[in-house]
Amino acid sequence: MSAQAGGPVVHDPYTLPIDDNVNPYAFSVDLKGQWFLQKGKMIAYYGQITFNGIGHGALDGLIARNFHSPLHASDWVVAEGQGKLLLADRSFDVNSYDLEEGNLTIRSGNLLAFQPGLSLKQSIIPGFLTLIGTGKFVAASNGAVHFVEPPIRVDPQALVGWADCPSPCHHYDHSYMRGVLGGIRALTGIGGTSGEEHQFEFVGAGQVLLQSSEVLMAEQATGVVPNEPGVPGAGHPGGQAQQQNIPRMPGQLGDLQRRFGL
Amino acid sequence: MAFTRINSKMVEAQVLPGQRLFSQRGAMLAYRGDVTFTPNMQGGQGGIGSMIGRRVANEATPLMTVEGRGLVMFGHGGHHVHTIDLHGDTLYVEADRLLAFEGTLRQSTMFMGSQGGVMGVIRGQVTGQGLFTTTLAGQGAVAVMAHGGVIELPITPQRPVHVDPQAYVAHRGEVRNKLSTALGWRDMVGRGSGEAFQLELSGQGTVYVQASEEKL
Repeated sequence: MSAQAGGPVVHDPYTLPIDDNVNPYAFSVDLKGQWFLQKGKMIAYYGQITFNGIGHGALDGLIARNFHSPLHASDWVVAEGQGKLLLADRSFDVNSYDLEEGNLTIRSGNLLAFQPGLSLKQSIIPGFLTLIGTGKFVAASNGAVHFVEPPIRVDPQALVGWADCPSPCHHYDHSYMRGVLGGIRALTGIGGTSGEEHQFEFVGAGQVLLQSSEVLMAEQATGVVPNEPGVPGAGHPGGQAQQQNIPRMPGQLGDLQRRFGL
Repeated sequence: MAFTRINSKMVEAQVLPGQRLFSQRGAMLAYRGDVTFTPNMQGGQGGIGSMIGRRVANEATPLMTVEGRGLVMFGHGGHHVHTIDLHGDTLYVEADRLLAFEGTLRQSTMFMGSQGGVMGVIRGQVTGQGLFTTTLAGQGAVAVMAHGGVIELPITPQRPVHVDPQAYVAHRGEVRNKLSTALGWRDMVGRGSGEAFQLELSGQGTVYVQASEEKL
């Protein structure tokens, strides 16, 4: 970013970039008004800035405008005031993106901050969040983000998010599992797996965001979804459905497994 | 050149029918087109003999064969990626540092003792290379992984290069390397400089050094 020779660059409130990266790992927000931050991502600030948890007192109204559910809003903080705000996350690569009357879906752990012009919704796909509207947001990734256009198949761990893409779906490669050798491989595990049997497939118009490694960032809670029929990820208390899938022992010994907690 | 750099941690490779690639398993990030990924039982090229050789030498990194037609993006573990073009010379590298390489390269395993006998073996232990290392020879491109960025240091007959064994990534060319020790009484009483072992590379070629002392 800045000149490498001559030692580190010293910033003051006036030379800090305006809504831009300070270096690949830190982002400077020129705050005039409000921004939403994920808890604990602020590293430093200049000026008069207050940080408030959302959902208390006067800020109640924000929930209705910018968040989909009060349960999730508790993970977010409003920064209010005037000044320069520095954001970073465990030395991951940080980048800002602009949305104009658009939508973008992103893995929940990667989103650091966004402007109030955007509203944050929970995606139908568990673990992802969707931003809708106009504004800037800041996201972290492990390795720089690379934009690709569909059609493309993406390793699940390398996917950061996508914009305007209609069709995220699963794709399975199993061609090498066919035939005699493939059968032996599938039965015995000899030869191992390529680790690339499963991808997310994107087709149609839009953009897909990839990170340059397969190391995931810790997932943030996205809040719970209403427990209704037809809502993906709605907790039909997981236990019941799973227990039915455990193969029972022959004879009438079946329930022994459950009694032993298997 | 089969590999195009996208950023410091990601490369893109073009796959065409009849031109296969080998890559570390699980290192594919995304692909476009009709490409298949087959786990490679032999851990690279050659038949069963080479496979057993690699298993014995502990240079059997899980590899997969990438075939078809399309574009594939590779990256792994957030490590920096460096691409190296080989034009008939030989690259010496640890198998677990290989991210991907072209199928046109000849892959084989080398006993460290064959370069300098017992000292070669000791050198292998200190650098973490073990008793064996992998060689790639011929025409083609290799993508290697390193912790931190990679620096290329040229080696000429008049100017040998000393490298911290932990920062050593790979080398190519006609290079003799030996372990030089600077052990003194200070090291014995625990007041050493921490740089008692160095790898001295001399001859004609290039050594690749990573900007970190962390192993992969």
